[in-house]
Amino acid sequence: MTTRREFIQTLGATSAALAGLSACGGGGHSSGGGNSQPPVPVPAAPILVIVNIDGGYDWLNVTPPNAGANLAPYQAKRATLGIDPATLIDLGSGMGLNPDLIGMNDLHAAGRVAWIPGIGMPNPNLSHFTAGDLWGQGAAVPAGTGWLGRFADTAFNASGDVLRGLTVTSDLAVMLRGQTRSFVSIPSAGGYVFPAYLFSGTTMPDAPLIETGWGDSLNAASSDLGYQAAAQAGKLFFDAQNNPAFGTGGSLTARTPTILYPGDVTYPIKRLDGGNLNNSLSRQFKLIAQMIAAGLPTQIFFSRLGGWDTHSNQAVDHPNLQRALGGSIKAFYDDLATITTSSGNAQDRVMIITYSEFGRRVQENNGGTDHGTMGLSFAVGKAVKGGLYGAYPDLTGLDPNGNMKYSAAADFRGLYATVLERWLGLGATSTNTLLGSSYTRMNFL
Amino acid sequence: MAVLTAITSWTVADVQHFARRAGFGLTPADAAALQAQAPGAAIDAWVDGTGPSHDLTAFTAALATADMVTEPKVTASTTDPGSVDVALVAAPHAFLVDASNAWRNNLNTAQAYLAWRMHHNPYAFQERMALFWHNLFATGYHKVGKAALMLKQIQLFRTDGLDKFDDLLVTVSKDPAMCIWLDSILNNASGTSIPNENYARESMELYSLGADNGYNQADITQLALALSGWSFTLGDADYVPNPASPSQRTVADGHFKVYDGSSNAPDTRIYSGGLRASSYNMHRTGTVSLFGQTLDITTTAGGWAKGENALRSIVTVKGTNCSMFLAKRLLTHFVTTGYTAQDQTDVANMIQTAGFDMRVVMKTLLKSAFFFGSANRWALAEGPVSWIVRGAKMLCPPLATASAQSPKGYPAWRLFTNNANTFDQMGMKLLDASGPNGWHEHTAWLNSNTMRYRTKAAAALALLELNSSIPLFPTSVTTDWFPVAPANAQAVYDRLVALLQPGPIAATVSAAWLAALLPSPFTWNAASQAKARELAFLILCSPAGQLY
Repeated sequence: MTTRREFIQTLGATSAALAGLSACGGGGHSSGGGNSQPPVPVPAAPILVIVNIDGGYDWLNVTPPNAGANLAPYQAKRATLGIDPATLIDLGSGMGLNPDLIGMNDLHAAGRVAWIPGIGMPNPNLSHFTAGDLWGQGAAVPAGTGWLGRFADTAFNASGDVLRGLTVTSDLAVMLRGQTRSFVSIPSAGGYVFPAYLFSGTTMPDAPLIETGWGDSLNAASSDLGYQAAAQAGKLFFDAQNNPAFGTGGSLTARTPTILYPGDVTYPIKRLDGGNLNNSLSRQFKLIAQMIAAGLPTQIFFSRLGGWDTHSNQAVDHPNLQRALGGSIKAFYDDLATITTSSGNAQDRVMIITYSEFGRRVQENNGGTDHGTMGLSFAVGKAVKGGLYGAYPDLTGLDPNGNMKYSAAADFRGLYATVLERWLGLGATSTNTLLGSSYTRMNFL
Repeated sequence: MAVLTAITSWTVADVQHFARRAGFGLTPADAAALQAQAPGAAIDAWVDGTGPSHDLTAFTAALATADMVTEPKVTASTTDPGSVDVALVAAPHAFLVDASNAWRNNLNTAQAYLAWRMHHNPYAFQERMALFWHNLFATGYHKVGKAALMLKQIQLFRTDGLDKFDDLLVTVSKDPAMCIWLDSILNNASGTSIPNENYARESMELYSLGADNGYNQADITQLALALSGWSFTLGDADYVPNPASPSQRTVADGHFKVYDGSSNAPDTRIYSGGLRASSYNMHRTGTVSLFGQTLDITTTAGGWAKGENALRSIVTVKGTNCSMFLAKRLLTHFVTTGYTAQDQTDVANMIQTAGFDMRVVMKTLLKSAFFFGSANRWALAEGPVSWIVRGAKMLCPPLATASAQSPKGYPAWRLFTNNANTFDQMGMKLLDASGPNGWHEHTAWLNSNTMRYRTKAAAALALLELNSSIPLFPTSVTTDWFPVAPANAQAVYDRLVALLQPGPIAATVSAAWLAALLPSPFTWNAASQAKARELAFLILCSPAGQLY
């Protein structure tokens, strides 16, 4: 039996071991020993969980260079915040894994993680909001709607499928807004019923009558955009809460995971200051697991972990954030294995995809890092062909502003095309139409 | 083309449109009273807060008993020397947000206090502009950590919100909450240190120019150098101890200072604590090159702080870009999102002509034929805070009545804001923006979750929801809504529409509502009054009810 360490070393030996001057890809690093297991087939009823790493995360300190030509410029520009390469878990191709991304080393060793460094766009924008919108729209020519919203337009039943796309955030990201369909927002498991009071789920007087009136009001035609937005959003809530999974008082069946999540009192890994790793992503993942267990017919979930805009105090904040991110993903992945659904074990059905609006400047400032370009996405799942994809940026050849350059091999729309076609089952032509062009698929699926 | 010439006459419908956008609505009676005045003078007085209708005497007096929720006792610490119990404060009492109560540091109380002010302040425009600027200069309690500093910033918007925009931009940039929010206090560029770009970037992208509108990365870096060391100091009196645990001291105020190594006055502390005879040296010396100009950021003139010249040059050098940015934000909040490029240019030109004087700008815009255009009526989805405040203003007793009642007839705003972060779930966590770009407006206010919470809020408001026997919104159908008994079902509907002022509701919808709730024969009694509440609920949470 090959050890995990040997597995990682094997990856390193078979890699270029130089800076990522060329595209990694094709799943060439997914083979190996250790705990690595071959991917399972793409399931018949796949579930996609998107994780928005919000704020533009400093992925250079998540998967830093640990060898090759990138190491020297990294160390020079990260004099105080840089991660000691000796502490990293080797991922190959001169790329290491920060152990603060807890749990991900195990998933990587099992061959369940596709790393996509350098992912980005040819016209990177250093505005959180412009960049976030571009990521959300995911189109050759952005026109306002989101790539998953357009998928909903294309694939969802025009008058049904109200729970097929669901965000556990209270807002609705651009990514989830379609021309005619949007995702439903359900950020908590209880009291999801109409009509209801603020302080209790007590049924209102004349509830059936009010429901009728509500329905009637929604049927009123108006060309006003605000009216339509309110009507569609209201109807989505109204229809979704009628799903039988929401039982008495509009609550999902209670569920206590048998897996510890970051933030749980007995979770063994803590913040740097010793406190619990309380974080919103664990709460969101628990809710998603509860929804899957309850049988909600949801195909796509959206979640978010914010706080990554580390202009300052990065030495403290960033490790804590990584622990929350990695630990939550690992716990969620493990938790899914305990859930049986009508279409099989949940772990077999779920793939997790992460993204952030941009990476951060290679050169640190006084205690933090400013906005930069290019990012790191990763996909986690049993059907994923683990390894390195994309293209690790060349840190010896930054742009005039000191930022990483784009590589077409890691175009973010290539990730979307891969997910749409190979996970969500959209046809190749429809995928290209949805994105506005044909982007090279990534072979982690 | 935006016709910005002032109207010379107006109807009650015009007045109501104006009051919805430039305040938080007017009841039919108050709208009729305002309509009797000429629009020019009336709008001047509305913006300036002058004239008898803006007498603050009763409002100010009522603040002393505005909070309807009892504040529980705080038990003294057993380990902290000098601790004493803090007694229960029985309702009604003032919102405990004054400086002496800064130690309570309660976001919900601060939110409730703002809601109460929006509801009852006769100078409604001041609160509306504060809400507008709060969205533009969006700042978040979750990072600032001090409710007192957040409220200090809101007060800044009240007092300075109609200044020249460049003055306001400078004032906000020196505000302690903002200095914390976007890391100005950590922007150390002394010597060859690399500056923290956070505030420099967002001050242009989000606060004055718009993304990629007239600046580049080099400008961001240069502005960050100019503003390095912008921070604040504190005196001992600016820390307010918790009487029940005096070692817990909460920052209630701060005083702008450029940390340039210069000597400090006695009793001067840095934000992170500790007396210092001189400030740290965090400010870059020399010159910066911003927008193609070379600016000395070491010396000062005219009372400006070091680097202030660079900040002000955003408006003076990039005036066209800045005016276009402001025009977009003003149009989106006050008029319509359906403006044309020419409309935006016209408003931007007006802003420049007015010298960025926001008082002149707002008067011009709000008097304009463009603002009153029929296409702009109900053309915006209303933000949730404005929406619930306006609903309360229409359905709850007015200040004079409420203050004379026992118990007081004010909404229990603190219960409303406490429960499940209602403002947050409705889409606007007041005083705690998740990010510096604030809240997107119009249709972005609306998703299935925000609509869910709007229906809950509508129920609380219209259906007299109680919590621990306290009504969230004390409303009387017979006294407040129908001082004159309606003669028939249609009259019930018409009166509620007149109060709540929703967008157009199709006749087929209203007919269906009335047929179900108030079928013939009509009798005005307790049963039909209960149905009137349900009808108000339906109007409030209907799609048309989200428009204003």
